[in-house]
Amino acid sequence: MRRLGWLALLVVLGVALVVGTTDRDEPTEAERVDRIGRSVMCPTCAGQSVADSQTPAAVNVRREIARRVAEGETDGEIRDALAATFGERIILTPPRSGVAGLVWVLPVAALVGALAALALVFRRWRAEPDAVATPDDVAAAERARRAAHVPPPDPS
Amino acid sequence: MTETRAPEAHRPHTARLVAVVLAVLLALLVAVLATRDAATTRLSRSPLVGRQAPDLTADVLLNGDDFVLADERGRFVLVNFFATWCVPCQAEHDDLVRFANTHAVAGDASVVSVVFSDDEPAVRRFFERRGGDWPVLRDRDGRIATTWGVAGVPESYLIAPDGRVVAKIVGGVTFEFLEEQLARLRGVR
Repeated sequence: MRRLGWLALLVVLGVALVVGTTDRDEPTEAERVDRIGRSVMCPTCAGQSVADSQTPAAVNVRREIARRVAEGETDGEIRDALAATFGERIILTPPRSGVAGLVWVLPVAALVGALAALALVFRRWRAEPDAVATPDDVAAAERARRAAHVPPPDPS
Repeated sequence: MTETRAPEAHRPHTARLVAVVLAVLLALLVAVLATRDAATTRLSRSPLVGRQAPDLTADVLLNGDDFVLADERGRFVLVNFFATWCVPCQAEHDDLVRFANTHAVAGDASVVSVVFSDDEPAVRRFFERRGGDWPVLRDRDGRIATTWGVAGVPESYLIAPDGRVVAKIVGGVTFEFLEEQLARLRGVR
């Protein structure tokens, strides 16, 4: 019964993840331009994407993104083209290769490591309880109870 | 009692040490800032440097009909992105005129300007008033600037006689700075 509960929980989680991560509708061109623009840094302003900035350079980059989207280029191709002229630093999402790629790998590795450590610890706790009453402990408790005139615990 | 006094006795020494360290760091910072090149004109890293220059075929606003960068092979070309509302662009203009005039006879270097987010009448008035007879190109939708990776103005790209981008210059240029770049690229120090 307990296993069935866990299984049901896993199924619900899996379905929720699939539904949550699947795009139900194709984005429009304007939505794509906005999405790509949010991942490209404004060349002249600190900490702003081209989607949020009204500087001439940001406006130019937005126009370029829109033109390339209309020509059928993928998001990756557009970002690569911008990085090829402005430099990799213009892309707000870190690259997936090289040292910067660790940004993507490390959190996953840390999560897996933490889960593995938790599983190991839980298993150890279950296998060997850390506090076992010795005969001396039991005798001491019995003496204390008698001294306090407390009746012994009900075995039921 | 002596145990509680000991740390207090050390406190002035610690404070003096921290003050000395901070003073040294401040002095180093001032020295670095004072000796580095001015931030107004500097060679900048660009993925374009070392590669063939992007295609630059554009409608000419002033001083010519059509401009094709590939036709300029055999001499250095300074591709200068500018706007009349930009103060450093105004400041560098006389140096650009001098640079263009100096190399006009030998024909070993030329200038071409690209208008960055500016209106045409203002650009016409600017060149009438300040001089300069090199081609000035339109960039109505900002596509040229984006293709060249221009973040702001003024920015200039130096193109070698073989068509490669050899330098990206951020900030206003001076005649001396441009001559230094040409001498460096020609191997003359």
